[in-house]
Amino acid sequence: MHAQAAAEALPMTGLPDARAAAGQLIRQATGGDLEAFEELVRRLQRRVYGFAYQHLRDLDEAHDLTQEIFVKLFRNLARYDAERPFEPWFWKLAANTTINYRRKRVPTPTDQSADQQVSEAVSSVPAHDPTLVDALAQLDPAYRLPILLHYYADLPLEQVAQSLNLTVPAIKSRLHRARALLRNALAESEETGFQ
Amino acid sequence: MSALACARVRVLLEPYVDGDLALADPGTAQALRDHLLTCVDCRRQHEQAVSLPFRMKALRSPSPPESLISGVMRSIAPQPQASRRAWGLLIPEALLGAFILWYLSGLDGLSALASGGWSDLQGLAFWGSGAAPLPSIPVADVLLLGAFIALAAIAAYHLSILAKLDQIPVPDLRERRRA
Repeated sequence: MHAQAAAEALPMTGLPDARAAAGQLIRQATGGDLEAFEELVRRLQRRVYGFAYQHLRDLDEAHDLTQEIFVKLFRNLARYDAERPFEPWFWKLAANTTINYRRKRVPTPTDQSADQQVSEAVSSVPAHDPTLVDALAQLDPAYRLPILLHYYADLPLEQVAQSLNLTVPAIKSRLHRARALLRNALAESEETGFQ
Repeated sequence: MSALACARVRVLLEPYVDGDLALADPGTAQALRDHLLTCVDCRRQHEQAVSLPFRMKALRSPSPPESLISGVMRSIAPQPQASRRAWGLLIPEALLGAFILWYLSGLDGLSALASGGWSDLQGLAFWGSGAAPLPSIPVADVLLLGAFIALAAIAAYHLSILAKLDQIPVPDLRERRRA
């Protein structure tokens, strides 16, 4: 049964007892138990919020997107097949919500350029690797999303591919391209720094 | 295997770092390795390529705000109070409607209306099946039937509005966050 697989997905599962508890939590939440759902959100929130923040580079937007992801999770829990692992299913939902969230953001005349947003975000939140944060922010969302799912949310390639409805070779190729773009940006930034 | 140009090396660095290049094309992987021994610029790029996944994994984000969970739970709270109140209003509405009908026509009047309506419908059904001529229905009955149909349509519309209210609302997250 897959409560265990689902439990392994959650980032608090070092011990067998903890895994069993997490599996139980997912089952209860799927059955409509609001307290279990709240606990599930509590355990996922850091990774989801971090993912949203790294993607959007804006605290308020990250907050909105995270809430939207969890509300969608609640509404779609009934569709979750407990025989399958929870994590890929959840991150697919999160990725779709993120893609649609960006699509429905209508730029207003007061919207700032991406560069301004990045510099504001960087100044409002201390980044421990600012050059990488900058380079990531400049990346096209089509490249940034798989990078974040794989390296930040720590999903294996197969799950990233499932989440984004792509094949594993396509995801691999996209990740290589994204890393090359980041590498070039980092090298450029270092060169500028040295001058 | 011929020597690789820097531009070619830069394109192949990520598959090389992941080990995919050595599997797919061992000769090119060896040539790339040889190139790195002699080219300082490409070696620097290679170091970046190697360290990048680790830097990505080490990336830190701000902690989620305290209000996040409460906001989510508010958004998914079942049966908003306004909706319950709206459904509850149907009870006094029905009681008041029954009282008015009873007051205007009395119970006898109501049963007369019902039996009159029933016989009219029967007459129409017989006419429709060809078993009887078109019955003469009093104008008052036709008006009453029209009023009944209108009342049913309005009630159905009212119920559909209430049913929509009962569904989990699409939360206005921005409003909630800023509240």
